[in-house]
Amino acid sequence: MHYANTYLEKPVVPDVKITGEGTTDVLKCMLNTGSDIYQGACKKRGSTLKEEYKNASGTCYMDPRDMAKLGVNNWDTVLVKTDFGEVVLNCAVSRDAPHEGTVFVCKGPWANTIVSHDTYCCSDPTYKGIRCTVEKTDRKVLLMADLMRWVYKKYVDEEDDDVVENMDSLGELPVYHGRKWEELIDHDL
Amino acid sequence: MTYEPPVTDYDHIVENCTCAFCGCNCDDLDYLVKDGHVVAVRHACRLGASKIMEDMDQRLIVPMIRDENGELKEVDWDTALDKAAEYIANSIRPVFYGWSETSTETMKEGVALGEYIGAVLDNQATICHGPSLQAVQNAGYPIQTLGEVQNRADMIAYSGSNAMNSHPRHMARYAVFCRGYFRQRGRFDRTVVTMDPKFSDTAKCSDKWIGFEQNGDYGFYNAIRAVLRGKELYQDVISGIPKEDIYELAEEMKNAEFGVLFFGLGLTHTLSKQRNIDIAIKMVQDLNKYSKWGLTPMRGHFNVNGFNIFMAFECGFAFGVDYCRGYPRYMMGETNTIDLLVRKEPDCFMVIAADPGAHFPNGANQHLADIPVIQIDIHWGPSTELADVVLPGSFIGVECAGTSYRMDGVPIFMKKAIDKPETCRDDEWIVRELKERVMKLREEPNTAPKYVPNPNAL
Repeated sequence: MHYANTYLEKPVVPDVKITGEGTTDVLKCMLNTGSDIYQGACKKRGSTLKEEYKNASGTCYMDPRDMAKLGVNNWDTVLVKTDFGEVVLNCAVSRDAPHEGTVFVCKGPWANTIVSHDTYCCSDPTYKGIRCTVEKTDRKVLLMADLMRWVYKKYVDEEDDDVVENMDSLGELPVYHGRKWEELIDHDL
Repeated sequence: MTYEPPVTDYDHIVENCTCAFCGCNCDDLDYLVKDGHVVAVRHACRLGASKIMEDMDQRLIVPMIRDENGELKEVDWDTALDKAAEYIANSIRPVFYGWSETSTETMKEGVALGEYIGAVLDNQATICHGPSLQAVQNAGYPIQTLGEVQNRADMIAYSGSNAMNSHPRHMARYAVFCRGYFRQRGRFDRTVVTMDPKFSDTAKCSDKWIGFEQNGDYGFYNAIRAVLRGKELYQDVISGIPKEDIYELAEEMKNAEFGVLFFGLGLTHTLSKQRNIDIAIKMVQDLNKYSKWGLTPMRGHFNVNGFNIFMAFECGFAFGVDYCRGYPRYMMGETNTIDLLVRKEPDCFMVIAADPGAHFPNGANQHLADIPVIQIDIHWGPSTELADVVLPGSFIGVECAGTSYRMDGVPIFMKKAIDKPETCRDDEWIVRELKERVMKLREEPNTAPKYVPNPNAL
């Protein structure tokens, strides 16, 4: 069946070619979170288990000068740390550059692990303007289901972060017991 | 991105549907329906179209509960509802969070259940425009409808809001590009100013971008207020903006015929939180000495405003309403979901049409890993990974009719276009069923103890 396609594997970002190792291992930055149209479209469609959501939401948008300092190119992985946690993200050139010293991560489970839960008694956590460090890493960005398992460990017995991170992936489709759903779902769509 | 030919293979068109995405509630969408599915949407933005043509792979269709191995298992509606009702009835401090992507009719059932059981009812405003609602209580609410903006406004200011990305049709349909009765030339008759530390997509198509520094919003608005009140600025640069630019902007705002300030989460999520909005509202009040100005918060979900209006009508408080004492109570920083979760207070959490897994900070979500979580939603999302009972609801505005409130407080009836999957139920039905089952399990409602005056005090 032909239907209008709204799927986009990766957000469209400007090209960049960073050569060389970079001048620093750890970059101190200001972290901002929020939404953009790629993250919004993917989240609201419900494609949260998919690779698309990982790329739309688990991406750290950086100024190209900051990327040169670290020596990273588009879609390399970086480790972002704050006082509240750490997470591995893709990095890409920001469409809103220049904003040297500030990184932008779309809201989503990835950003949640590093934002502040402090509400200062006004109900709203501080999602923007958090100090963070960014460093290059070889670790992989986790898919949504794997990330939720790694962060919250609600339904795994294992406590060790590294073990949970390297467990078999839960994949891009719902994991559950049953058959009825598969029969009911219209896979032609 | 590649070229896509238009969709021509469809059975029929359902006209004038209301979009169930953001607070703009665009009510001019046409759905192209084939074999009971929406295959294309006309007039919608990328976000609206993508939401309406949902991802069926992840559509929740059958109720599920966790088995002893921690894996979700398909069950029938009776079992799932009984399990959920049992969790709610046995809890001491339940929190019912969400409500923003469902109909006002569902909220009616929800508030009855919450009141009966003594729960906390809260919605997404708690993590987005909560500070705005507090500021409205502090400083007032000089609002106008979006129709007035379309027909009259000649100056539009976006502050801390990236409308091009989060409310894509806002500029086109209500604020900037559209023609209005007094603004016959559309975009050419309007001045657009974006105030945002980020050079966002909205800033790129504005006439003016004020890129104040991060967390500098409070100082910046105070500087504008000072200028509006005829004061001199002593510093040369305020919040990263040269004072000449502030004079120029203040003059421009004073000379507008009808100006509107749209503000988003850029103001509410930074450090000064509700004080930012206080000062923005007061700035609008100051501007009204010279010209006509109004403001509107850029609400995110299509019915997030609906819950606030509904709750304010029902019990006097807009969000974060605590019924545990038998009467509605509201205390900032105490009865709000994030604060409750960070303090590890709730012992049962019901998520309805929301996604805390995707949008709550880690520090709050950690507690969801320790308590039973009931999810009523249409898609398998990050919250499903934390949920113990999953109840598949229906899609308001597509599969089910309902009332919602636009960002400016205008109620809009969203009609039904297609049938829902046969094993799903309406949100309203699910919450009503839960209420009836909880009432059977817990026979006494949660009421305030009878007031007895202290005899010693007389």
